[in-house]
Amino acid sequence: MHNKTTATHRRNILAGAAAAALLSLVSAGALAQQTLTVAAFPAVDEIAKSAIPMWKKKHPDVEIKVISRAFADHHTAMTTALSTSSNLPDVMVVEYGYVGRFAEGGGLEDLGSAPYNIKAQQARFVPYAYRQATTNAGTVVAVPSDIGPGTLLYRTDLLKKANVTEADMTQSWDAFVASGVKIKAATGAYLVAHARDIKDIVIRSDIKPGEGLYIDNKGKVLVDSPRFVRAFTLAKAVREQKLDGKINAWSNEWSEGFKRGTIATQLSGAWLAGHLNNWLAPDTKGLWRAAQLPEKAYGSWGGSFYTIPKGGKNKALAFEFIQMMTLTPEVQLSAFKSQDAFPALIDVHNDAFFDQPIDFLGGQKARLLWRDASRKIAAVDVNKLDPIAEEIVNTEMDKVLDQGKDIPTALADAKALLERRVRR
Amino acid sequence: MQTDRLAPRAAYLLVGVGGLIMLAPFYFMFVFATHSRTEIFNLPPPLFFGQDFMLNLGILTSKIPFWRSLGWSLYVALASTALTLVFCSMGGYAFAMFEFRFKKQLFTLVLGTMLLPSFLGMIPTFMIMDAFGWIDQPRALYIPGAASAFGIFMMRQFVLSSIPKDLIEAARMDGCGELGIYWRIVMPLLAPAMGTLGLITFIASWNNFIGPLIVMRSPEMYTLPLALRSMQSPVNTEWGAVMAGSAIATLPLLVLFAIASRRLIDGLTAGAVK
Amino acid sequence: MSSLPLDSPPAAAPRAKGWSLSPAMAPYVLISPFVILFAIFGLFPLVFSFYLAFQSWEPTAGLSTMKFVGLENFAFAITDEWFWKSLRNTAWLAFAAGVPQHVVSIPLAYFIHTSFKRTRNMAVGAYFLPYITSTVAISMMFGTLFSTDYGLINITLHAMSEWPGIGWMFPSHPIDWLNRAENVKPAISMVVFWRYVGFNTVLYLAALQTIPKDIYEAATMDGAGRWQQFWYITIPSLKPMIFFGVTLSVVGGLQLFEEPFILTGGRGGTDQAGMTTAMYMYRTAFEFNDFGTASALSWLLFVFVAVLTWLTNLAFKPRGGSH
Repeated sequence: MHNKTTATHRRNILAGAAAAALLSLVSAGALAQQTLTVAAFPAVDEIAKSAIPMWKKKHPDVEIKVISRAFADHHTAMTTALSTSSNLPDVMVVEYGYVGRFAEGGGLEDLGSAPYNIKAQQARFVPYAYRQATTNAGTVVAVPSDIGPGTLLYRTDLLKKANVTEADMTQSWDAFVASGVKIKAATGAYLVAHARDIKDIVIRSDIKPGEGLYIDNKGKVLVDSPRFVRAFTLAKAVREQKLDGKINAWSNEWSEGFKRGTIATQLSGAWLAGHLNNWLAPDTKGLWRAAQLPEKAYGSWGGSFYTIPKGGKNKALAFEFIQMMTLTPEVQLSAFKSQDAFPALIDVHNDAFFDQPIDFLGGQKARLLWRDASRKIAAVDVNKLDPIAEEIVNTEMDKVLDQGKDIPTALADAKALLERRVRR
Repeated sequence: MQTDRLAPRAAYLLVGVGGLIMLAPFYFMFVFATHSRTEIFNLPPPLFFGQDFMLNLGILTSKIPFWRSLGWSLYVALASTALTLVFCSMGGYAFAMFEFRFKKQLFTLVLGTMLLPSFLGMIPTFMIMDAFGWIDQPRALYIPGAASAFGIFMMRQFVLSSIPKDLIEAARMDGCGELGIYWRIVMPLLAPAMGTLGLITFIASWNNFIGPLIVMRSPEMYTLPLALRSMQSPVNTEWGAVMAGSAIATLPLLVLFAIASRRLIDGLTAGAVK
Repeated sequence: MSSLPLDSPPAAAPRAKGWSLSPAMAPYVLISPFVILFAIFGLFPLVFSFYLAFQSWEPTAGLSTMKFVGLENFAFAITDEWFWKSLRNTAWLAFAAGVPQHVVSIPLAYFIHTSFKRTRNMAVGAYFLPYITSTVAISMMFGTLFSTDYGLINITLHAMSEWPGIGWMFPSHPIDWLNRAENVKPAISMVVFWRYVGFNTVLYLAALQTIPKDIYEAATMDGAGRWQQFWYITIPSLKPMIFFGVTLSVVGGLQLFEEPFILTGGRGGTDQAGMTTAMYMYRTAFEFNDFGTASALSWLLFVFVAVLTWLTNLAFKPRGGSH
């Protein structure tokens, strides 16, 4: 079948260079129909797609093309595109965990100043999300669209059996662990899926201004500060008392633990309630409740931002699209209703939808709780070494939990490793 | 084949049980394709087929242009296989049977490129494709693949082990031209190797994911692995639909393997030296 | 196979006389299409990554931000304990997954080649299927199979341990496959073995096809038994192919990336026990945004792979005659 095609391919290759040159001219030729490309990942892609009709009303002549990739693939592809400043989308969605990395790289438009002037809208966004999109140099490179206020989801039935109240659990971390002992004794259920989950939130609480998560703004490494000692101590206590199931999030064991009631609580973003209801453990409806995190810790689990790469083409249209996605109340609300994307836009925080009881949480009006939390979360200065710092800390955490390494040594080792990187 | 006496039954049994163990995970892929994600995440997982296949297919085709991606995958894999077979058999034969300048150095260099992980080439590859204007073009996937170090290496080893030098010499004596020799003598003798390399190239192209990730920007140009992966997110993946997609994506490879293996294994009489 | 233009050559039709290509010119003509493509798509990335290894570069800031840092990336990599840790992991995995592949696949290919008639395709197919399974499916399935409390592997092992006679060989407690540092590597090795043993079997089967039958016939006449034939005819004839297969395993094993990546969720498992050098490189590039160090790491790995490939070559040289 290939005799002809092979021969043609061969000719193609011989003519390759010439054809390539021609092609690039042709493809660069102006098309009658303008297209705005938006690069995103699930589920932000769905939210962007559902806003297309609204866009079409204003710009019938501009197509919106949503390019969706898997979460990690999207950020890999964006890194590659930014590195060569070519083939960039007009609008780039960036997830919370990557916004700092991309922001400090300098490949994104400064949206704070003219012609965009997003700074004028600052008061309309949840404070920490807006701060998160601001670089250390003070430029605003991203506009927040949805956020993930942290919450403690717990099983009322298991707590009842163990005679533990919500207040018992949330007054302090030590009380949280102590409640875990009771729950384990009475029901056999684990307090948390993984001891690491506690560490992750405790190191993020109580960060002083000017301190980053792992490194402060003067380049000093903080991984042996009291925050970390406390986080490691708590995680170790949980592991030693067999209160965690050594279960990673999103694994089969995790969903099974929820279904069977072998995991009593989960520290997570507010959106988890939606996932539990939709597919993780639909049969546990009514058994869950949401509370603020223990010891008045306020943290954030994920969230997405809209950015414009400097190498993009239709910047004016791109910004218009971003405004539609982030500053239009109906778009923000419908994303909240359909995809559990908690709005970063404060305008909609007084909508009636927030007052509605959530059936899955036994009729609790949990959205109000999460709204309060969203105002109290502090933004954390990002550092480009944060990903490597996180890996260093997690590895030492593993050593403490699995191999019984003592905490001061582990943190000292982590500090030495990280300092080596900072010095480079 | 010689069958001097039946091999001991234990050996057959061992091969059979081994085969079943090999197949088990494969079986689960097809089983999972017929269950909803809630059921997939049950433990123990479902062991038999369920009823949700059409439902999964519906989710799949509504979220991604599945059939279109399947078409692109097929197109790229076929083109890639054809080009690779021609170029690599020519090159491998030259490396095995001829002496020419810088042969050793060139071969070492070719092997050298095999020793570097593919993702390191991501950024330079992206730069080349961009310069050529090949972003979003299927040719960006099948043309570079035709210069396969693996293919050259494999063909060279096959020529070395199965084509006697004196056969080539004899053909030259008979006044056969060089290309004629390649075409009439070498190619037919390489058929099993071609089958093997063709199969491997096709599969590699079919499952290739880093390549398309770099050069394909538009969802309507995605090949299957990219399209299927675009449904995955850390927090919300339609696993049933992804499994259904993976299962369907495996079928063409199964068919291809059935065809190729017959050719491969029925073998050819390699008795050309007479 | 079907995709072979068996009746018309890629170049013009070789009428025995019309196209007189001299034997001296032939190799250059034969090799040119490959070399041209190779120079563009194979060599350029190689050179680029070599250049990058001496630069400090924050990729998201664009190409213009590269800074020459000399050997600093290499100095950092050589003194980086994670690099050595990943190298140890890689060596362990390459060995544990690589050696059994060939030890199993050569006899298996020979056995299928000589003793299977009608069911041959089925047998080969069963062993080859893992190789064509997509990564997505593999990650899902093994996540399920390796599950500690409900995974089929542990359920099966537990059932086996209750069998009289052979029970003592199997663990009676469920094994925590992916969360205990000492179990992560065996679990990954199993998956790698599962995935590639059939691939090697097909490779060897194809090579077995090309061994002329009359050699075996002659040996049978001389009264050589199966084992002798296997040992004195098959193995030597397979040598070039074994060299090829082993080289692939060395190269592939040392660049092991996909399987550990998907099985351990991209992190390498607890205490990075399953983090291979290729994974560490990938993370250095795309998670820690440090392409310079990633390139330096890859060239260090390159040196290791090259040395091992060269040793493989040496091992096959004395009697192989293929080099």
